[in-house]
Amino acid sequence: MTRVIGSRLFSTILVLFGVSLIVFLLLQMVPGDPAVTILGSGATAETVAALRTELGLDRSLPVQFFDYLGGLLHGDLGRSLTINTPVTDIMLPRFANTLILTAAALVLCILVAVPLGVIAAHKQYSIFDRASMMISLAGASVPVYWFGLLLIGIFAIGLGWLPTSGMYNPRFPGGVGDLSAHLILPAIAAALVPLAVIARMTRSVMIDILQQDYIRTLRASGLATTSVLWRHALRNALPPIVNIIGLQVGYLLGGVVFVEVVFGWPGLGQQLYTSITQRDIPVVQAGVLFIALAFVIINLFADVAVGLLDPRTRRKVGS
Amino acid sequence: MTHGPRRTQRRLSLRLVAVCFIALLSVSALAGCSRGPVRTGNVFVIAIESEADVLDPQVAGGWVTWRINRQIFEPLVDEDLTIPSAEATVPPLRPGLAQSWDVSKDGLEYTFHIRHGVRFHDGTPLNAEAVEYNIRRMWDKNSPQYSVKAAGQTNFVWKFLDSLQTIDDYTLKVRLKQPFSEFLRMLTQGGNGSTAIISPTALKTYGEDIADHPVGTGPFKFKERIRGERIDLVRNDDYWGTVPSIDGVVFRPLPDPSARTAALRSGDVDMIAVPNPDSIDNLVNEGYQLSEGIPPHIWYLSFNMKDKYTSKRAVREAINLAIDRDGMAQDLLRGSVNPALGVQALSAGGYVERKDAYQRNLDKARQLLASAGLANGFETTLITSTDGSGQIMPAQMAEFIQQNLAEIGINLKIQTQEWISYLGVWARGMQDGVGMAQMSWGMTSPYWLYIATSSELQAPNGPNVGYYANPALDKAMDNAITALDPKEADKFWRQANNIVTDDSALVPIVNDKAPYVLAPYVSGFVSASEEWYDLTHVRLNQ
Repeated sequence: MTRVIGSRLFSTILVLFGVSLIVFLLLQMVPGDPAVTILGSGATAETVAALRTELGLDRSLPVQFFDYLGGLLHGDLGRSLTINTPVTDIMLPRFANTLILTAAALVLCILVAVPLGVIAAHKQYSIFDRASMMISLAGASVPVYWFGLLLIGIFAIGLGWLPTSGMYNPRFPGGVGDLSAHLILPAIAAALVPLAVIARMTRSVMIDILQQDYIRTLRASGLATTSVLWRHALRNALPPIVNIIGLQVGYLLGGVVFVEVVFGWPGLGQQLYTSITQRDIPVVQAGVLFIALAFVIINLFADVAVGLLDPRTRRKVGS
Repeated sequence: MTHGPRRTQRRLSLRLVAVCFIALLSVSALAGCSRGPVRTGNVFVIAIESEADVLDPQVAGGWVTWRINRQIFEPLVDEDLTIPSAEATVPPLRPGLAQSWDVSKDGLEYTFHIRHGVRFHDGTPLNAEAVEYNIRRMWDKNSPQYSVKAAGQTNFVWKFLDSLQTIDDYTLKVRLKQPFSEFLRMLTQGGNGSTAIISPTALKTYGEDIADHPVGTGPFKFKERIRGERIDLVRNDDYWGTVPSIDGVVFRPLPDPSARTAALRSGDVDMIAVPNPDSIDNLVNEGYQLSEGIPPHIWYLSFNMKDKYTSKRAVREAINLAIDRDGMAQDLLRGSVNPALGVQALSAGGYVERKDAYQRNLDKARQLLASAGLANGFETTLITSTDGSGQIMPAQMAEFIQQNLAEIGINLKIQTQEWISYLGVWARGMQDGVGMAQMSWGMTSPYWLYIATSSELQAPNGPNVGYYANPALDKAMDNAITALDPKEADKFWRQANNIVTDDSALVPIVNDKAPYVLAPYVSGFVSASEEWYDLTHVRLNQ
């Protein structure tokens, strides 16, 4: 197991290096100059040149990239070109906000999708099964943006139960209670698609398992349905479900960008969008690195979890 | 399983879905229900259209940021923004941190008498030395506080500055190399960097990080900024002028127009910037207030004077006459803009209305094209952005122009880019094959015309992206800039506006009205003839 984790961590470093190189090159390829962005339409050639020198943009590309990498090795992500603030100061709070939203959405997904899938599989072709699968199919096809607006229209404007946007009340910023109230709608919006995917996946894996001989044996030996379903069948279904959940986290991290825009959630996605439009290369690189890192780490956890859940792989990786 | 029960179950599940749908609809119907009064806590919350730039007024660019910075910081000379556009097309100048000023007869020496008894938010007293320290930051390459960004943003203000001298605690002498009739007006501007004064103590303490610790003299003090979430300002109870009635202001960036509208309807915010034109009527019917003005905004095209078609004056005139500005303003943009009938906006000094050149006349346009030997039309390209500050709906507006020009046989190709890419491409100047480039810009100062059309500032050295050069225009603008008498200056600016129109060098299309929608309980908000606003008189009446 240690070896698996070790090799995974090594490949993580390679992935991160590749990601930062690609992002760096991509941003060089698109037109647009951060110096012109900062100075705006009134810029003269002279002032742009002076600013480019100050920002270090007149150096050759390899020098710029390796300078950045050197900083990265010392834990220094550089300074934002446009707002002249250390990138870590900008991105860490944003990343934390995105993680809060992602985690809430993920918990919601698991709490709803897995039981939904299990019950649907158990009552295959029942009304419950058909309705829940139909709704989840619809959920997976609904544009997140539209769904977010619908939630705002009903629960924030119509019923006035929850705030429309942001993380805290702008007038009376409060603590955890305030945060939770602001979290509910965006978390539901972000959870919708992965929830549908996980529910359908759980259902099909469970259907498969419920037809296995050992389940029939368990049933025949008089074990209660609940026990068969939740203790034995679900346990065997967990490895593929955990895998798909791990992959859905990647989708969630990418998908929350839209949710962040609709709900004015000050997360990584919103910041990335702003920074891309300003060609603020260090900030964009840091954002992509954070997402890549989170994705790799969560999938590593998923792999380890699958290994622990499945005695066969446990033995294999243990030997 | 037989077919019978399956069909029944399918019918049942359909019924279930229908029930869910009806439930959803009935909940939506509740959306119309009225709700209790909004608790504002006497804090005015504004939903703004994008995340703001830095809170360093001399370095920050763009109107969005200056609307925030000018609540914290003040320049030497200010504009009176308590008068609505309807009463003053150009906002009058008024003393800011300079209580008064004298200008020497030769127009070269400005003596500013600094306001007594003003303190920055950190307690530092305002004096001539503090002002000098600030100006050197924007202009003097040899001073330790010099900032390349601040200099780059404010270069058009300090262009003619020769020397600075603190005479005594409250007197500052500014000497220019040549007379500059628009100097005082340019001191009030903030769209491309402003000359607002920052606490020298804070500048010395924080250096270039000042933006995270903004300290000015204005009616509001900086409290907190959480990027992407909020910028909090609180009332400055020691303000030298009218102390605001509201306890504070919160600027909330909500880039999505629907999210802004939703936040207003739910009472989360008290005012929204840039409402979706389609939502304005509904909001007004629901009791919300619409506030509009005539800011110096102009959405315009520049012609490429090196292009084989657009270098011909007849072609340029034909294009100007073929565009249906009224149709665009009324049909496409639902009255949220005014058709532009002058090179500059109505709120700019030296404005000249020229219906003869900018009102649609298809017959004359066709005749002009024929006179240029292009009766069968030609093909050219217009470059514009897909989004961006002040750009309104650039792609749809370009398509509207495309349809207009098709009526006189011109086949217009449109090339769009995302805002920042476009800004870079635009600043390089128009390349071969591109006939027109679009931009939205403007100032209350007619000096803007110099920035946009002077032959000295041809791209890439400046924003004259169509390489327009007319010695008569340069002469007129030079006369206007160096004129000692304001009336004389105004005469020359009018002449310059007329020359640009006669040459058909630009295509002014529309002027934005900068609509804001406010909650019913807000009063005292004024849309003056500027791109920004004064919040000292805003009240929340509850």
